[in-house]
Amino acid sequence: MSDGYEILTLDEAETAPHRENTTLIPVRHLLGFRPAGVNAWKADTGGQLMPPHEEDSGNEELYVVVSGRATFTVGDETADAPAGTLVFVPPQVHRSAIAAEDGTIVFVVGGTVGEAFNAGGWDSFALADGYRQAGRLEDGRAIMAQLIAEKPDYWPTTYNAGCFEALAGDNDAAFEHLRRAKKLDTEGHSAPYFREDSDLDPLRDDPRFQELLG
Amino acid sequence: MNLAHIDELDAIEMPDGFVWRPVRRRFGIRAFGTNAYTSRANGQIVEEHTENTLGHEEIYLVLRGRVRFTVDGDEHELGPGQLVYVRDPSVRRAGVALTDDAAVLAVGGKPGEPHDISAWEYTFAASPSLRAGRFDEARRVLHEGLEAKPGSPPILYDLACVEALAGEMDKALELLNESVAAEERFREYAQTDEDLASIRDDPRFPS
Repeated sequence: MSDGYEILTLDEAETAPHRENTTLIPVRHLLGFRPAGVNAWKADTGGQLMPPHEEDSGNEELYVVVSGRATFTVGDETADAPAGTLVFVPPQVHRSAIAAEDGTIVFVVGGTVGEAFNAGGWDSFALADGYRQAGRLEDGRAIMAQLIAEKPDYWPTTYNAGCFEALAGDNDAAFEHLRRAKKLDTEGHSAPYFREDSDLDPLRDDPRFQELLG
Repeated sequence: MNLAHIDELDAIEMPDGFVWRPVRRRFGIRAFGTNAYTSRANGQIVEEHTENTLGHEEIYLVLRGRVRFTVDGDEHELGPGQLVYVRDPSVRRAGVALTDDAAVLAVGGKPGEPHDISAWEYTFAASPSLRAGRFDEARRVLHEGLEAKPGSPPILYDLACVEALAGEMDKALELLNESVAAEERFREYAQTDEDLASIRDDPRFPS
């Protein structure tokens, strides 16, 4: 096979555990796809597919049921969605989906109107954190290092690397990343995360934490 | 809820035998490009092409049935939940349906740029009404395209074809000359295009 293309089988691809007991297939990360956000979620009967959420202004998402069957809730409407169903969700509308059959897979495409797609890396972080939980610390660190190398000035990635190390128990490394993230975040968007993110709980009693809150 | 099953999407039969199922258009999606295709067994489902002109990276995800893809000369038989990601726009790719129920979802765009709706979405969408002689309908879709993409040469060219078939010779010649001035390849297409037969002898025809 040439390196101009790649084949991926969704139900055999690597997965990452994500919040609210969801299972992410980090398609964008695995392929390196750049024009849009593409990922997939898998669950058995009764399981949560993507975590319930809203998207920011301008972010459009299309969900496609690839296999099995899902029950979608968008705003206050609920609908049965067998394989082959496409569900479009505009920005700022609450969306959630539960698998109605075992082996259900939902593929999702997302992007922002009028803007070039810019991967925030939450999906790569989910994979790195999955490695950490499985005891594969070095594999997780390699992903975080790669993300930082790709976007050295983007504070959320460095912040996530701090979370990774806090959860991995390497406080020194965590503080190093978090101090840098705070410095990169010149507009102070990170402040609520430093205050409330439970990923940082292992660090909160360390005297060094106070300087991150200041 | 804004939802549709793939079989409920518009089915626009294309000359190569595959059926275009407009997804982006159906939902009014502006942030990214996505479409679906269906076909009968042994029919083309992804037309043979490269993305050299648009520079798009593309994903082709099989939603149903089986499809034999030929990518960069290699053959891959894929089923539901399997995808081909073509990173390199210059790689030639095509897909043939192996079952009657085959369906493929395509997602693509140019990295680093906001999504720009492709002109072919308008010319494809106008093509059934153009072929059926429903010229007002074809005009409506193509004008919608010109509003989204002012001066788009392929849309101007197709509009010239509509006007020529509808007997509006002056309009047809004006539109055709506009498309040729913007993109030289339309001069060549115009020489043999049956849709333009009625205006080819006019001295204003781009020769």
